[in-house]
Amino acid sequence: MNIFKTVLKILNKNKFIVILYSVILISFGGINMSSNETVDNFVATKPDIYIINNDVNKGITKNLIKYLSDNCNIVKLKDNEEAINDALFYRDANYIIYIPQGFREDFLSGKVDEIEIKSSGDYQSSFAGMILERYIKVAASFQGISDNEDDIIKGINETLSKKAKVNVVSKLDTSGMNRATVYYNFASYSILACLVYIICLILSSFKKPEIQRRTTISSSNYKSINRKLLASNSMLSVILWAVYVIVSFILIGSTMSSKHGAIYILNLLVFTICATTIAFFIGNLVNNKEAISGIVNVIALGSSFLCGAFVPMEYLPEGVLKAAHVLPSYYFIKSNEIVKTMEAVDSDALKPVFENMGILLIFSLLFVVLTNVVSRKKACS
Amino acid sequence: MIDMFIHNFKYAFKTLFRNKPLIFWTYAFPLIMATLFNLAFSDIENKEKLDIINIAIVDNEEFQQNIVFNKAYESLSDEKNEDRLFETKYVTRKEAKKLLNDGEIDGYLELKDGKPVITVVNNGINQTVIKYVAEEVAQAIFNQEEVKIKDISSSNLSYTMIEFYTLIAMTCLYGGILGTYAINMNLANMSSKGKRVSVAPVPKIKVILSSVCASYLVQIIGLMLLFAYTGFVIKVDYGSNLLMIIVLALVGSLAGLTLGVAVSSVFKTSQDSKTGIIIAITMLGCFLSGMMGITLKYYIDKSVPIINKLNPASMITDGYYSLYYYETLDRFKMNIVSLLVFSVIMITISVVSIKRQKYETV
Repeated sequence: MNIFKTVLKILNKNKFIVILYSVILISFGGINMSSNETVDNFVATKPDIYIINNDVNKGITKNLIKYLSDNCNIVKLKDNEEAINDALFYRDANYIIYIPQGFREDFLSGKVDEIEIKSSGDYQSSFAGMILERYIKVAASFQGISDNEDDIIKGINETLSKKAKVNVVSKLDTSGMNRATVYYNFASYSILACLVYIICLILSSFKKPEIQRRTTISSSNYKSINRKLLASNSMLSVILWAVYVIVSFILIGSTMSSKHGAIYILNLLVFTICATTIAFFIGNLVNNKEAISGIVNVIALGSSFLCGAFVPMEYLPEGVLKAAHVLPSYYFIKSNEIVKTMEAVDSDALKPVFENMGILLIFSLLFVVLTNVVSRKKACS
Repeated sequence: MIDMFIHNFKYAFKTLFRNKPLIFWTYAFPLIMATLFNLAFSDIENKEKLDIINIAIVDNEEFQQNIVFNKAYESLSDEKNEDRLFETKYVTRKEAKKLLNDGEIDGYLELKDGKPVITVVNNGINQTVIKYVAEEVAQAIFNQEEVKIKDISSSNLSYTMIEFYTLIAMTCLYGGILGTYAINMNLANMSSKGKRVSVAPVPKIKVILSSVCASYLVQIIGLMLLFAYTGFVIKVDYGSNLLMIIVLALVGSLAGLTLGVAVSSVFKTSQDSKTGIIIAITMLGCFLSGMMGITLKYYIDKSVPIINKLNPASMITDGYYSLYYYETLDRFKMNIVSLLVFSVIMITISVVSIKRQKYETV
């Protein structure tokens, strides 16, 4: 009980750091809050573009702009070249189209002018390019068919209006699942950083030479002391886990009450156990209070970056993902990614998730054993 | 008298260099972050390019007889075709459904009464492209004439560079921690050494100036290490104007240093709290200039530009951005001037505050 009281005292002194990491988590988890819809019908992805029309806004030029506006989002920008260049660099607009002066006139006299564009080079810009090319191709095929511009435009629009039917078979709440995954992936960083920081502080307080000497000569042996410390630290971990779960219900809502949500919660619990043992191990290894914040940052940021807590796994290079297999966070985040696209929650689909949880528990066991080895060595010396 | 300056400079330099936590935060931490950024971000832009999309086509009688669709998809899936879009499997409907459920394909196409029907699992860019192409084939557009489109965009469009620029900004401002140490060494209420210095028959300004110069040198060495590592090992692109890159680094460090000096002279708290204040200001500044998501910088620049006009981290980041992306130096010069103004304000605050410090008791 004495140990537990001391732990609470130290925690109270350092509550600021817990609040800090939690605020970071909540603000990042809250960023993706905007939309919440289930996919029932197909919604085409629209690339973000910007059009600078140097021609008259009439006839064929007007129709081109209308076609682009129907198939793309036209972003709002200040009408100067610097604002446009900034927008392209930061991918606010993926594709900039400069319609040249005299485009309509030249078109009606049988010529298609060269169109200048700026492109961000990603898939959205490639798609915007396809849309522009399509229009020009169709328009060119109607060139000279009639003298009347309205007839040409009518022909173009008729050709372009043929649509393909699209069925969407999934009933998965993609946006809710996405948000839950982002939140829980990020929570791995907050939990790891918080626990390593706090537990290291607690342990280093117990490791002050005078206190250390007192506990060494006392009747209880190092294993029992370690057990009591682990138990009181586990209490902290469980509280932290519970708080993050409650916050996830507030931020994400209905997705968390589904079967998928339950797996996210269970998965986070297993990860929290593992993070506690990691923190306990590091705390036993390190005695220098000044070094703690450095170690926390290297370990928590390192494993979060490499395992996809910040940058989604699908964007990480393969070599990094392979190397990440030695880190516990990888198995936690991998499970979240599996749950994200899980259509039906059954034993077949859950098998890899449980395997990952098993690996996390093996990691935990390993760290407990290592901690005992380290503290026995230290006690002997 | 100049001897005293050199003497104090030498020992301040040595003291700073031997402070392990200090060297960790100003030297090692930026290098570690640069490594992590490189590992995490190096592939993002490649993966955002339009890749070959995996699709399936239900190989029914109608599809086999429809020459238009047959030929079009054959050519779009041809490995030799430069504009290849698809990797196509020709299967039965049942197999197509299975492939879709297993996530092997993004969607499948089936012809029903001459019209294409696409089946997908969710919305997305690949799914949109599949639909759009099916429409194009149905519209029977076979104009082989090349469409004249000229790409006039800059080749320097790699937005992940911003992350590394914020890292440079962070290192410049972390130099402020060095600044606080340099000042604290000489403040009578901060250290016993400070007491000794205060009663020594040497002008206060001389000791402080030499300590500050020493910490500036320590900071520049750290920054050089970071530039060498990011430039040569990680291949971060800082643009081609080497002189301006160095000028910005020097001015940026000056801003960081003066920030530290100002914090140190204004706030009368412990060294740890001062370090905490510098770290908090730096991280907030870097956050606003895009370290945790580069779009944040853009949206602030676009909607509340005043915030980043006051933010030294953003001035540094934006300075490197304009060297990398823009051909003219107008925007860059603006950033340099802002940083200099920032430094002058910080120095004024410190001078006013230090001059007033006299102690009856310590």
